[in-house]
Amino acid sequence: MSERAAIDRSARFPVLFFFTSAAAWLLVATLLGFFSSLKLSVPGLWDNCQFLGYGRLFPAHMNALVYGWAMQAGLGVVLWLMARLSRNKIEHPVAIIVAGALWNAGVTLSVITVWFGFGNSMPLLDFPAWVWPILAISYALIVVWILPMFRQRGESLIYVSEMFVLGAVVWFPWIFITANLLINKGTAPVMAAGTNAWFITNLSYFWMAPIALAIAYYIVPKISGRAVFSYPLAQVSFWLLAALAGWTGFARYMGGPFPAWMSAVSSTASIFILLAIIVTVVNILMTLKGATKIWEFSPSLRFTVFGMLMLAAYGLLSAISSTYFFGKNLQFSHFVVGLDTLAFYGFFSMTVFGAIYFIVPRITGSEWPSGKRIRTHFWFSAYGIITLIICMLVGGIAQGGNLAQWDQAFSTSFVTSSAYVAGRCIAWALIAFSNLMFLYQLALMFVGKGRKSSGPTLIHAEPGKVESAKAAAGLN
Amino acid sequence: MSSNKFWKLLGALGAVFALPWLFLIVIPFLKMSNAEPVPYSEEDGVEGIAAYPDKTLQRHGASDYGRQIYAAEGCAYCHTQVVRPTYAGPDMWRPGWGGREEDGLARETQPGDYATEKVAMLGYQRIGQDLSNVGHRITSRDLMHQHLVEPKSLDPNSGMPAYKHLYKKSSIGSGYVPTGKAEALVDYLMSLKKDQKIPGAIVSGS
Repeated sequence: MSERAAIDRSARFPVLFFFTSAAAWLLVATLLGFFSSLKLSVPGLWDNCQFLGYGRLFPAHMNALVYGWAMQAGLGVVLWLMARLSRNKIEHPVAIIVAGALWNAGVTLSVITVWFGFGNSMPLLDFPAWVWPILAISYALIVVWILPMFRQRGESLIYVSEMFVLGAVVWFPWIFITANLLINKGTAPVMAAGTNAWFITNLSYFWMAPIALAIAYYIVPKISGRAVFSYPLAQVSFWLLAALAGWTGFARYMGGPFPAWMSAVSSTASIFILLAIIVTVVNILMTLKGATKIWEFSPSLRFTVFGMLMLAAYGLLSAISSTYFFGKNLQFSHFVVGLDTLAFYGFFSMTVFGAIYFIVPRITGSEWPSGKRIRTHFWFSAYGIITLIICMLVGGIAQGGNLAQWDQAFSTSFVTSSAYVAGRCIAWALIAFSNLMFLYQLALMFVGKGRKSSGPTLIHAEPGKVESAKAAAGLN
Repeated sequence: MSSNKFWKLLGALGAVFALPWLFLIVIPFLKMSNAEPVPYSEEDGVEGIAAYPDKTLQRHGASDYGRQIYAAEGCAYCHTQVVRPTYAGPDMWRPGWGGREEDGLARETQPGDYATEKVAMLGYQRIGQDLSNVGHRITSRDLMHQHLVEPKSLDPNSGMPAYKHLYKKSSIGSGYVPTGKAEALVDYLMSLKKDQKIPGAIVSGS
């Protein structure tokens, strides 16, 4: 057995464990997203049921999406990438799975407690104070096996993907513990709220973005068979992101009860981060220059490239909304939800789907059952997320504009934006359907019902006709 | 890979992040949690010795329980408690948002306004009204209860859901009887008044 196959085999159970439980949480999260949007567009619905209020459904949805799906899928990717790049087998799969089960218990508690009315209205950190240590400890028990892998690596060259992975692994616990301590143990009420905003943007830049970029820097060269367009550019963008992301966050409370420099610094950082993001996305796209046809066939590449475009959109929209000119109407509007969902689902999840379509066949030794279902997953997800973002962006502008008209009745802003909220509801329905498709395929792979074949499953080609697809894409 | 290089990279990753962590979070946090009460001077024309942040006013009992209900129901996902200066939004122009305009007391929210709460409920979105000074706008408990039970009876276009699960159906007639939770929530809402005079402030119109 080759070294690579041995590594993949050692990763099989822990990585599959994270992917399948993440996919299950994703389905829960999208359904909660659907019902919370429905409740918001029809406020009178389920009036007597306390568990179906927007103020409980929406945070439960966010917790399931971030801790259930995004963190776990990210951990699965991190484990596999680190094993592959450092050429180390995963030595303690059972310990990792046990820690993963503990993480899932933490996620369940974080969703259930908020849903049953023990939350504290701090987005993404609104579980009771005793829940976060469970998450922190199980996270530590998982990554404690990742850092030594990196340290024992054979080669002296550090891949840029490894740097992104290492960054995400180190930064996440830092922001998570800081934010939770300040909110639960702190005595500065305003800073608790500010740290909460800081945590949300830092989660996007220090967990979502590095993992998405680690995937892109691994998968794009791998599939296209080309070297990264510019290695120095990749490194520069990494350090730019690393140095700037920690300063973001307070732009969400422009004019809020903070010293004015804090939101000004955050705005500036958000605008400069756009530079890092554009540099890195262009770098990845340039790697594909002249071979763009592959993305029609390769599911991994298609999802990854789409994710990178979404990352560029995220950088642009968060830079725009951090300026006073746009921000004063956009902050507190539906735009905020659009922006956060663009991070959690738009660029992160789409890129991670690309990684999962790449990784799972390698660790299970079988191919995805149906290219058609992958295509359905892609289009429903892509249409869903684009619908959601456009609805929330345009709806946010409409709502913010109405809010700014101080001599109109306040409820005008609600009436104006309710059609866009209905759009958000439809978008979540599309996404929920696409994820049902995804979970079904992943479950088939999990129980060993994948296709046994030497050729990968491609989107448009019949199984077994890989060569003609490759030829059409200009490869060989 | 040499152990040295590993620690160097890890150190660099830590160092770039330690800077914003320290200057944007830790130091402002320490400064704000050790803020001293600011005494009024004679020019302020206010009785009493200190304005916020006065930790002795820390919420307790029904009022803090009410804040917990507010948080648990996720009110902050739709209601902000931030009145921004005009350069960042026209909040001060909306009647009643900044406080008692007729008494010349309307102003933007300041850090000290939240000193009595464990966590400031600044809010995530503004789907509903800003509540910084709702205690001045809705002065009757009955009206506040009515707002929670049947929001549409006050504004047919309101997007607020009813919070009937905080009430019990009355055994006589068709009314609703508030539970302890509803009373505590109303206590909290009635207490939201963030227009206390700031020591040394120049108030418009004075």
